[in-house]
Amino acid sequence: MVVDSSNENDQIILATGGYDHTIKIWQTHTGICQRTMQHADSQVNALEITPDKQSLAATGYQHIRMYDLASSNPNPIVNYEGITKNVTGVGFQEDGKWMYTGSEDHSARIWDYRSKTPQAAKIFQTSAPVTSVCLHPNQVELLVGDQSGVIHLWDLKTDHNEQFIPEGDAAILDVDVDPEGTHMAAVNNKGRCYIWSLTFGRDGEPTKMNPKHKFNAHKKAALKCKFSPDSTLLVTTSADQTAKIWKTCDFSLLQELKHENQRWVWDVAFSSDSQYIFTASSDGYAKLWNVKTGSMEREYAGHQKAVIALAFRDIAP
Amino acid sequence: MALYDNKLWLLSHIRNSFISTDDTGMSELVMVGEDLPKHLADKLDSYRDPDDSEDDDDMSHEPYDIQLDMEFEGHRQRSNTAVRLEKMDQAKKRAAKVKNIKWELSTVPLTVEDINDLFVRKDIEKNRPVIRKSLLTEQIERCTNLPQNPYIEYAKFDGSAQVGILTRKYKIFLTMLPEEHRNYPMIICCVATAKIEELIGFILLKCSTIHGDFPLKPASHYGLYITEEDGEVDHDFPHLDPKECVAKFGFTCLGLVELKHGTKNVSFESSQVIIHNDPDDILNTLNKIPMVDEAKQITANMQLMKVHATAMEAPLYQSYRVYIVNKVRAKAEIHLGISGEKIEIDPLQQKNSKFTFVRQKPVSHHIDSLAWCEITDTKSSGTAFRVVYSPSFGNTASSTSMTVSGPSQSPTLQTSASFKHYDFEADHNTAEEIVQKINLILELRSSVSRKEYIATRERKQHRRKNLHLNK
Repeated sequence: MVVDSSNENDQIILATGGYDHTIKIWQTHTGICQRTMQHADSQVNALEITPDKQSLAATGYQHIRMYDLASSNPNPIVNYEGITKNVTGVGFQEDGKWMYTGSEDHSARIWDYRSKTPQAAKIFQTSAPVTSVCLHPNQVELLVGDQSGVIHLWDLKTDHNEQFIPEGDAAILDVDVDPEGTHMAAVNNKGRCYIWSLTFGRDGEPTKMNPKHKFNAHKKAALKCKFSPDSTLLVTTSADQTAKIWKTCDFSLLQELKHENQRWVWDVAFSSDSQYIFTASSDGYAKLWNVKTGSMEREYAGHQKAVIALAFRDIAP
Repeated sequence: MALYDNKLWLLSHIRNSFISTDDTGMSELVMVGEDLPKHLADKLDSYRDPDDSEDDDDMSHEPYDIQLDMEFEGHRQRSNTAVRLEKMDQAKKRAAKVKNIKWELSTVPLTVEDINDLFVRKDIEKNRPVIRKSLLTEQIERCTNLPQNPYIEYAKFDGSAQVGILTRKYKIFLTMLPEEHRNYPMIICCVATAKIEELIGFILLKCSTIHGDFPLKPASHYGLYITEEDGEVDHDFPHLDPKECVAKFGFTCLGLVELKHGTKNVSFESSQVIIHNDPDDILNTLNKIPMVDEAKQITANMQLMKVHATAMEAPLYQSYRVYIVNKVRAKAEIHLGISGEKIEIDPLQQKNSKFTFVRQKPVSHHIDSLAWCEITDTKSSGTAFRVVYSPSFGNTASSTSMTVSGPSQSPTLQTSASFKHYDFEADHNTAEEIVQKINLILELRSSVSRKEYIATRERKQHRRKNLHLNK
């Protein structure tokens, strides 16, 4: 799976999914739904586009499904199963060598992609349902957040792991590392956000994490946190019906993204130049926001129920 | 229900139900023909009169409510089981296209090479180049003034690719579009809970994305009418109540029609929300030039289709109200009926005229007796046209054929003898239509009378030419 630069790949992809058992692909600048795919039997928990932009991974209850982005097939082409509970997170190694997933059956998994039929490669067990998984940009350390409030740093090469517990009896809901690999952020169900500064491990040593900052980001549970591609911003979304953009230099609030009756804001994605943000919310809309002005610029209407997951791939010239 | 305590009736009912719903047909082989044994029947049915049992035996115990429809005579009605089996089969077929990968950790752990191959530590470059502008930003900036589609709120009524909720599929004819797009339906799938006005909004949304350059009005300006499969809107019925749920109506073919008398409460503001033809709109600019050519081609095809259609319809009976003009230029209104068989002239009762100039009797001519039809005069008051016929057709068929074979006869004399004509007058459009219709029929049939008439005319012309040359 090598990223090729054919013309088909020169397009922006925005996919959304949620409780209405469908996945929609949008034309981002007009807000028109280009395609709807069926996600039978389950809500969509998380979405991710493969590095080669050929497929879309959608996770649901007990499975991960792959949809072909190149064709107009409304049904999945690959179905990954053997997981007993909800799959909460999915992602890919940057060259598409393997896929990682996190699930409520207390485990994070690595699926080997090198052969024609992907196979099970590695599993990491935790003591609580996994709520989020995030790959460190060095491509060998996986951060796994769980419901008991523990963040595990799992070294895929050595299987060495470390645990961090920022706060007792609060579920970690999302973890993210900035693209430069200098900061890690985690949010919990009490609306608090924790920041660590990371120092590179030399010669295979694990990354060192030092608590740097903590702040109350939201009044209610914080659902997602994500660093901008240029590492200067952090966005957090919450059950308090807002998304907030923070500057990473001093973690001061830059924008509050609010819309009447938008309800829970579940998922978020930055454009590759960090100028725009997409959000997915319970009002059934995905929205596009201007980071500089904090105003909503587009609304993507078409879902019957709450939109809880989105995936976005931008083109950087 | 008295029948329900009748054991015999129940037994009979069970037998019949079983036979009628058994798809395998085995039951019929096993329970072939025979009814219940007589002694058993007597025991079960205490009210049965043993004497007249022979007469009504078959009738009285046959439950009439499970008679099979005559339509299903050829094949058995499918039972629920068969339907379910088919659904399962379809699901299986669909599933066969999906590759399933199960999580199975092999007992052999990954080798060191595998691990080294899979997990390569990547050095993160510091000071990575900052991306100034992504494609998304570019596109958004390019259409900053793009007005939001006014129908976007209706997007949620989209029923396509929905799983587990009821949806409805419609063929919608869009009567307000240009002709080339008007004659084929747009397939719309909406959720069954939508109201008619929401369905209209959703149709307009889809319409605006497909036919981006056509200005549309707010949803309240349109009505949905019952429509034939060929797109002919049935105006006899009022448009569907916009406040009603779509599920209430069973029609699958509808026509979207712009209401002439828009509802009075439509404010000026709302009528401004029309999709503008934004020059920046990529969709438009990309397709514009080829679309124009395409449109031309389509219009040309449509024209051709129309010609074919009139030719096809020509032999169908149609009646026109025209004036017949007699030799002294007096006019009388008549019904002119034209079909592939004959033409009929029926006088209309003159209501307010005390006396009539013309006494026209009802006449009928076989279509093969007609020879010619043409427009003779076009005035501002109306157009005159002439129908030439051969009065000798039918009863003197032999004489007509003789005249054809006799070229030596004087043509002028023959014309006056063999052909007569009627002169009519009607408004321009009607006259043209009638002439076209009659000529199409005549061309189709090319009767003896017609050939003869044409031959005569040619001879006449030829003679005239000769006269000119001789001069």
